[in-house]
This record gives sequence, structure tokens and C-alpha cells, in this order.
Amino acid sequence: MIEVKSLYKSFADIKAVKDVSFTADNGQVTGLLGPNGAGKSTTLRILYGLLTQDSGGALVDGIDIKSDRIGAQRKIGVLPDSHGLYIRLTAREHIHYFGRLHKFDEDKLEFQTNELIKLLGMEAIADRRVEGFSQGERMKVCLARSLVHNPPNVLLDEPTNGLDVMTTRNVREIIEELKNKNIAVLFSSHLMHEVSRLCDHIVIVSEGSIVASGATDEIRNTADEENLEEAFVKLVEGGID
Amino acid sequence: MHPVTVVLGKEVRDAARDKRALLTAFLFPVLSPLLVYFMMTAIIELQTDADKMTIPIIGGEHAPALVQWLQEQDVHLEKFDGDAKQVVRDKDKELVVIIPDDFQQKFGELKTVQIEIVSDGSRTDSQPKIRRVHDLLRQYNQEIGALRLIARGVSPDVTRVVMSQHIDVASKEQRAAMALNFIPMYIILAAFVAGMGIAVDSTAGERERKTIEPLLINPVERYQIVTGKWLAATIFSAIGMALTLVLCIAAMGQVSLAQIGLQFHIGNGQMLSMLLATLPLAFLATSMQLLLGIFAKSFKDAQSYIGLLVLLPMVPSMYMMFSPFATQEWMFAIPMLGQHLLLVDVLGAKEVPLIGYFYSAISCLVLSMALVLITARLFQRESILSG
Repeated sequence: MIEVKSLYKSFADIKAVKDVSFTADNGQVTGLLGPNGAGKSTTLRILYGLLTQDSGGALVDGIDIKSDRIGAQRKIGVLPDSHGLYIRLTAREHIHYFGRLHKFDEDKLEFQTNELIKLLGMEAIADRRVEGFSQGERMKVCLARSLVHNPPNVLLDEPTNGLDVMTTRNVREIIEELKNKNIAVLFSSHLMHEVSRLCDHIVIVSEGSIVASGATDEIRNTADEENLEEAFVKLVEGGID
Repeated sequence: MHPVTVVLGKEVRDAARDKRALLTAFLFPVLSPLLVYFMMTAIIELQTDADKMTIPIIGGEHAPALVQWLQEQDVHLEKFDGDAKQVVRDKDKELVVIIPDDFQQKFGELKTVQIEIVSDGSRTDSQPKIRRVHDLLRQYNQEIGALRLIARGVSPDVTRVVMSQHIDVASKEQRAAMALNFIPMYIILAAFVAGMGIAVDSTAGERERKTIEPLLINPVERYQIVTGKWLAATIFSAIGMALTLVLCIAAMGQVSLAQIGLQFHIGNGQMLSMLLATLPLAFLATSMQLLLGIFAKSFKDAQSYIGLLVLLPMVPSMYMMFSPFATQEWMFAIPMLGQHLLLVDVLGAKEVPLIGYFYSAISCLVLSMALVLITARLFQRESILSG
């Protein structure tokens, strides 16, 4: 479970995150929705311990990230904004590297790696060096390495950005699967249809603040719109005014 | 597995697959011994050329006694006819000695004979030869002059007001070591060159390829990540340095130093001493490179900074070559200078105080650990993600 309480974060003069609060429960998919530059990535980066908030609290399974970064990081699997890979390592070596950094049991690492390779359908590329991988193949490696340690919470920053239809569908299936395993999934997106399809709970942010939050149907009601996309636009524009 | 080991293992594997970086890392250790070999051979050839020389001579038949004396001094005389000035100007000959027709006559009348030495003062390579001819003629002068005085019942000492005698306190090995001053420089340089690729790749490269964010999300202390990277780079640096050392010494073994009266022998013990003396430098060189690598925004940026860093180890070596100074114990504590002094002393078969090894190792390791800690602090900054 991820709890965010009244989070604030500024860079120089820019207030990137203002009073953001929400909860991502276990077995639920929570969507952080907002246009580019709304503060989604900043919020996530605070949650996975690469940025420190100016004020407010961020807890992962009850562990305060600010005071126990490493303890909190053990409880999360993250697909961050940057999808960089080590071009001279194979897909399997990437998964191993991250598994070992998480001190994942060495005896079970190979089994776990094979499970992930099967889950993501990357058997054919597992032992190839990642140089020259397609966008979708790279994304699979990133996903696999972030899930190798069986994290109870998963954070995904724009997971389907730039992916083709097939890989996007693959990512959606994985999100469903994580949800069924009672994992708390928090993902950010600027794509309305994606969020409406997958999420149980939506948090809409604009210019660093929450403009609406609640179950998917509730959001629709707040904006008094049938179509979620219309609701989104209305809420975001309302936030700007 | 300890996180440091995990990072170390990954970095070594990654770097070992980077063929271009490996080539740059290990080209230097392979090239420098070749350079040593050819430079030393060239020096020896120059020296022996001056020793066993052939001198073109005009009018040798006018002074048979002088010609015979010169031949006794290991000088090979070659009869020459033609325009002496022209051949020297054309650089066909380095010098020509001209003996006048009236040599015997003036010699008999006890008058001074003018012997001309035609040479080109702008040619530095012929200087030893010219000096040698002058020295020989001066020596001949003294010998004949002394005989003439003795014949007149005068002691030759009358004309010798002062006489200089050169006492060289350097052992033969030390003189060799002076000539070998560039070997320590190569070894120290190798420490910087061999670890550079991996140090840059694992810092600036990690930022440029955007792998740093995923890496830092792992539950590992930042100093452990930096330490793993540091040790990985140090392994490469140490291998490069050891390779340079062993190959340079092997190359020296192939050079016939005995020809110029120098002795050079490096046993296994000395080899080990030199390895021990230089090993701490691998830690220092890579810690400097990691720090610069993390400062830099990109690979290219980092390489230009680190290119300048390579000049740093050359400072003490260059300084010593041009203005030698007496070694004091505290000097061993100055990183790079300390290693240079140790290497010169071991190469020169001089007794090196144990405290020297201790000082140089401690100062290197302490400084490099401080640099690693600073690098770890920089890894903790939020701005590490940007750029």
C-alpha cells in the first residue's frame, strides 16, 4: 500500500507538486492522470526515493521513504521514466543484476528470471545483448528487471508510452495480473482511455495539484460527464482557471 | 552477494565486452615497451657511433705518426678527396679532418700546425663525434708536448696548472635508471589510461544512457554502488599498469645496454617491489576519474576533463627529468611523485626505505577513499538525474 499525504516539492522557483494526497491500495490499480508537466513523474520519483519532498509524507507499506529510503525501496518495483539499458548485457543479465541488487535469493533467481521471461513472452531475446532491441523489447526488459524481486507495490511511469498495440496489450495484461496477486499498482499516464480501462481509482493532477480523485465512476460524476475524456479535459481546464 | 560485489561483477563484465574501450586501455601497455625499446636502441646507437667512428681525412699521408696514433685510439680513418666544405654542407659527411701539406716540416721545426675540422654546427647529431675529435687532438697535443718538454729536461707538470678529474658518484645502475626515467612515467600513465574507459562508462556513460535512474531505485547505499564501480575500474587500471611494467622491463632486457657500459638487471624481487609500489596508484587514478565522470554531463564532456587529468601524473616525472633533486622521506607521501621516486630507486638498484612504500601507499589510498566518498555524495544529489 502506498500512502501520500500532503506532498510538496519545488525546484528553484517552480512548485512542481502542491499538496498531493492519495492512497494506492493493495489489489487495486491506481492511475495518476494528468497532462505532461503536471507533476506525475516528480510525485513518483519522491515515492521511489530519488527525490526528497519539501514537506508532507510518503509511505510504502507503512515505511517512511524519507527516513528509510532503502527499507521502502525494498518494497517497490519501479518502471521509471528513463528506460536505459546496458547495451552490452543480455536481457537475462539485466534481470539478474537487479535481482541481486535486491538481494533476491540466489537459488531462486534463475527460476524467477525464467518465469518473468515466460510471462513477458521474451524467450527468443532473453540471451541476446540488448543493443538493437526494439522499443517494445526494451520495455519488456525494463519491466522484467523491475519485477524480479516480487515487489508488493509496483510503480509504473507512463508504461505504455511509445509502445505498439501488441506490447501495450501485453503491459495491460501484466498490470491485471499484478492486481490479481493483491499487489498495489500505481501508474501514471496522460492517456485517458488507458486509465479508464485499467484503473479502479483515478487521481487527476494538473499543475502540481490534484483536481479530482476517486473511483472511475465518481470522477465521471464530479465532472458531470458521461465520457471520461471529456471529464478529464473539463477538470484540467477548470484547474487552470 | 554483497551489493559491492554485485556492482563490481556487472561493471567488469560490461567493460570486458566493450572492445573499443579495451583496445584503448591496453594499446598503451603494449605500445610503451616498444617505444622504450626503440628509444633505448637509438640512444645506444648514437653513443656507440661516437665511440667507434670513421673519420674522413684529407692529407693523412703528410702525418703518418698522427694517423697511426689515431688508429691506436680505435678511430677508423678514411681517405677523402674532394671539397670538404661541400660534402659537410650536403650532409654527406658529418665532419672532415684536413691535415696540411707542411705538417712534417712544421712538426720538425716545433711550430704549431693548423689542423682543420670541417663540420656543421647546426647538426646536433654530429656533436659527440666532433667533441671526440677535439678531445683526441688535445690528448695528442699533450702527449707530444710532454715528450718535447722531457727531452729538454723540463717536467711536463710545469705546463699543467690545474687538472680536472671527473668523479661520478652515480652507480652504473643509477645512470641507467636516469636514462630510464621515462619507464616510471609510462607505468604511472598506464594507471590513468587503462582504467579510464570503464571509469567514464560507469559514471558519465550511465547518465548519458539513462541507466542511472533505474540503478538508483535499487535498495543499495550509494557509496556501495560507487565502491563497486571504483573497484572494477581499479582492476583494469592495475592490470594495465602491471602489464606496462612487466613489458617495459622485458623490453629493456632486449636492449644491449652493456654496449654503453650500463648494467641493468631486474630480478623477481625488484619486479614485485615495483608492483607493490605502483598498485595504490590504480586506486587513486580511478577515483579521480570517477569523480570527474560524475561531474561531467556527457561522455564527451568527461573524456575532455579526463584527458587533462592524464597530464597530472606527468608533472613529477617531467620535473625530475629536468631538475633532479635529492629524495627526502616526506616526498614519498606525495601521490604520483612518491611512486615515481620508488620506481626510479628500485630500477637504479638503490636501497629503498620501507617507510617510502608505506607513505606512498597510505597517502594514495587515503586520498582515493576521500575522492570516492565525495563521488558518493554527488551520487546522492537529486540533480544526478538531470542532464
